[in-house]
Amino acid sequence: MKFFIGLMAALLIVGCSGGDSGSTGSDNANGGAGKSASSDGAKPLVVFSQANSQDPWRKVFDAETKAAAEKLSDVMQYDSQDAGGDPAKQNNIIDTFVVRKPKVLLVSPTETSVQGSIEKAFDEGISVILLDRGIDSEKYTTLIGGDNTEIGREAAEYVAKRLNGKGTVLMIQGIAQATPTKDRKGGFLEVMKKYPDIKIIEGDDCGYQRQKARSYMETFLLKGEKIDCVYAHNDEMAIGARLAWDASNPSGPAPIFVGIDGCQQEVVDMIKEGKLDATFKYPTPGAKGIEIAAEIIKGNPPKDKKIVLPTEIVTKETADAYTKANPNLAK
Amino acid sequence: MKAPANKHWLQLLQRYQGLVGLLLLLAVALFLDREHFYTGGNFSNVLNQLAVPGILAVGMTFVILTGGIDLSVGSLLGLLNCIAATWLVSGAGVGPTILYTLFIGTLVGAILGFLVGVTKLQPFVVTLAGMVSLRGLAYVYTNNGTVSGLGKSLEFLIKPVAGIPLSAWIMLTITAIAAVLLWGTVFGRNVYAVGGNEDAARYAGLPIAKVRIGAYAANGLCVALAALIYTARNMNGDPSAGTAYELDAITAVVVGGCSLLGGYGGVLGTFIGALFIVCLNVLLILKGVNTYVGMGWKGIIILVAVYLQNLGRRS
Repeated sequence: MKFFIGLMAALLIVGCSGGDSGSTGSDNANGGAGKSASSDGAKPLVVFSQANSQDPWRKVFDAETKAAAEKLSDVMQYDSQDAGGDPAKQNNIIDTFVVRKPKVLLVSPTETSVQGSIEKAFDEGISVILLDRGIDSEKYTTLIGGDNTEIGREAAEYVAKRLNGKGTVLMIQGIAQATPTKDRKGGFLEVMKKYPDIKIIEGDDCGYQRQKARSYMETFLLKGEKIDCVYAHNDEMAIGARLAWDASNPSGPAPIFVGIDGCQQEVVDMIKEGKLDATFKYPTPGAKGIEIAAEIIKGNPPKDKKIVLPTEIVTKETADAYTKANPNLAK
Repeated sequence: MKAPANKHWLQLLQRYQGLVGLLLLLAVALFLDREHFYTGGNFSNVLNQLAVPGILAVGMTFVILTGGIDLSVGSLLGLLNCIAATWLVSGAGVGPTILYTLFIGTLVGAILGFLVGVTKLQPFVVTLAGMVSLRGLAYVYTNNGTVSGLGKSLEFLIKPVAGIPLSAWIMLTITAIAAVLLWGTVFGRNVYAVGGNEDAARYAGLPIAKVRIGAYAANGLCVALAALIYTARNMNGDPSAGTAYELDAITAVVVGGCSLLGGYGGVLGTFIGALFIVCLNVLLILKGVNTYVGMGWKGIIILVAVYLQNLGRRS
């Protein structure tokens, strides 16, 4: 026990003296030039806390953010961490990032519950750029993201045109309580009110997953109901539904399949083959975030509290150009 | 390695392996990142992050000392997080919410302890079942959604008191109480006896089932405390909260020098083990090491810790 206490004391001494010699040491290392705020050198630090990097859209998001930051590497230092979808972990990551005194913090929140650490960072004078998802607080610099309601509306107009204002649409849905689902559904149904001859079947919650959408579609097709279009709340589910259609030995003509996200090369390829009809790009906000961060470093903070990124339709005609314009598509 | 002169050193190393590891890590931090790691800001950052895994690890120590394991703590934390959030949103008041959460946590722990101690089911299986059903229950309880809008009524738990967050004080207090319980009471000695050699404990007439129930109930109480601090920090109820936290708790206990076979180790070691893991996490983030690379390192550290524990003891 005495030995243990002795070690604890030694630990404290090491810890404290480490702190002292640490500060003098870093001054020496910087050769006296280290009077700037960030002790890692002159370049300001930009950090990015990603919610998770698991789905294809987030992978593209990560790749584009990194590519944009590398292009501007003479302006900023860049570092990122992935919270694996755990809000508690994201709080820890942001708190630890703040210790490094970054100039700009980019955050794509897992949930609004990470706002505690975001507010703290903002209160310390760090510019906070929220990406894709907002928080229940005004303590951030700007929010960059796509507009899912607008995407829903544009998808509806496109489908109505393709069906000449008449037919049956099966809507395969994403996670029921998620905001993107509500918006992609709401925008779509809002426009479809204009087309009384189009019947909408509200399909199941397939959780944005290919496998679930496939199983659901297989079951749906057994009913033998005729449909002219499948509108899925993301591309993965559109692919799942298409695979189910192909496996069902269909006799009649295939319905058209429309998805959202446009972040995978696989989807673009399927559009080129005519397996899917179209997808609507849900833009990743990372590159824009880095661009705004660079402006903040130069002393031009953004004027708007919200920056909306436009969507873009991908069809057979535009598929090749789309691949060329988006080099970071998920394989 | 097996010479008697070295044996003494090996025993010391086994006893204080967590501390040795922590000192090594702090020394490495000195070289890698002294300008950020050794700052006041990071000190409170580490303490803020330590409370939840630290308290979970202290609870887990009781269970592991009896030769058991508890895989359900992450799920229980998620359920209690939802319960606490729901009570606060429905206007139940801070006091009743805290008491009720602590009660449910202790009760669930005691039930698991009953299943392990009385029905003699394997702890791994019982708590695996607990992990699955408690997680399911959390989703049912919240109707698959999250519970938000509970305001800042629990925020006092994470506000600093005398320069240190209250959550960190709670953790230090819990560690001290657990240390006294384990070393200074009959219950504590029974925990070591049951974990060290169950047969001998039975012949000695010790109340094995009661000891197990007590150990799992203490663990449940710790999970409830951790859940309250988690709720204060995240300000919502989330049925997926605490996923895989049991693994961090077990890691802290193992790194801290407890034997997974039971009967050997202590709660101060666990405290050091939890501190080690949090410092490692912070250092990895400060140095910009990818999360998944960090997970790989943690796995290696667990293996080294268990290997050290087994040296000179088995075969």
